[in-house]
Amino acid sequence: MASKLLAAAVRHSPPDSRCWGNAMLRELDFVESDWAAVLWALGSTTAILKHAVPRGVRAWLVKHAGKRGERVPKSIARSVAGLASGVVISACVLAACLFGLSRLSLVLFPEWQLNQRAWAQWLALLGMPEAIFVITAVVLWRKRRTVAAGILLGAVILIMHVIVHIATHG
Amino acid sequence: MSIYVDLAPRRLRLRLSPQTLRVLDAFLEAPKDWRYGYDISRNTGLKSGTLYPILMRLAERELLETSWENSEPGKPPRHLYRLTPNGLRVAREHGVRLATGRVARIVLGGVKN
Repeated sequence: MASKLLAAAVRHSPPDSRCWGNAMLRELDFVESDWAAVLWALGSTTAILKHAVPRGVRAWLVKHAGKRGERVPKSIARSVAGLASGVVISACVLAACLFGLSRLSLVLFPEWQLNQRAWAQWLALLGMPEAIFVITAVVLWRKRRTVAAGILLGAVILIMHVIVHIATHG
Repeated sequence: MSIYVDLAPRRLRLRLSPQTLRVLDAFLEAPKDWRYGYDISRNTGLKSGTLYPILMRLAERELLETSWENSEPGKPPRHLYRLTPNGLRVAREHGVRLATGRVARIVLGGVKN
């Protein structure tokens, strides 16, 4: 699955990133153990995204600026503001979930000791925020598309962070 | 000691993080040889997510040259890396500075490594 993820990232990356992606994909054949191969593929996917995403954004901005002329800076600023507010909303939701686990659960259900249970931590860190992100993004999609996209971006960042954390720290 | 290097004539500045220095150090072990990414990763202990962005930056700043090796028929080629003469100069300069700094710290402060 990890190698498929890397192959997909390579396939969808711009040509200059694809060259590096193919290099990492080929090295995967020489990694000895399965677990090391998984780590290699996840690390490589991160590296490809770090390389490709800023270039993709730059190319998108150049393309749209070329098409729409002078009005573009305003629309770009509005889109960026929408995206940023979406990301901020998702960060607040995550913070609220973690606060709920660490403080509120101790007050409301002290005997359950939820902050010490692994499943509750995963629920507060990943399950609940991701569910809220998806529902909010679906609700906002028609009227506030950029904000919804920002929330989805926050969801993807959270998932990527968890994957990279598990890959590097076990 | 500055961790930035001026790359004349392009006026680019490369931040030499400890990880980048480890990569340069690995290349200095056999400066003329082409190296595979996985071998560099094993030598330096850096994971692919750290190593490849460093290699990409070095290549963008023309400190690293890359090549493809068609060793096994029917298999995709492997990517190879080697420092350019400019990259070698930067690596050697920082290798010397690092060594000097280390010796100075040991002599003056009694700090090991």
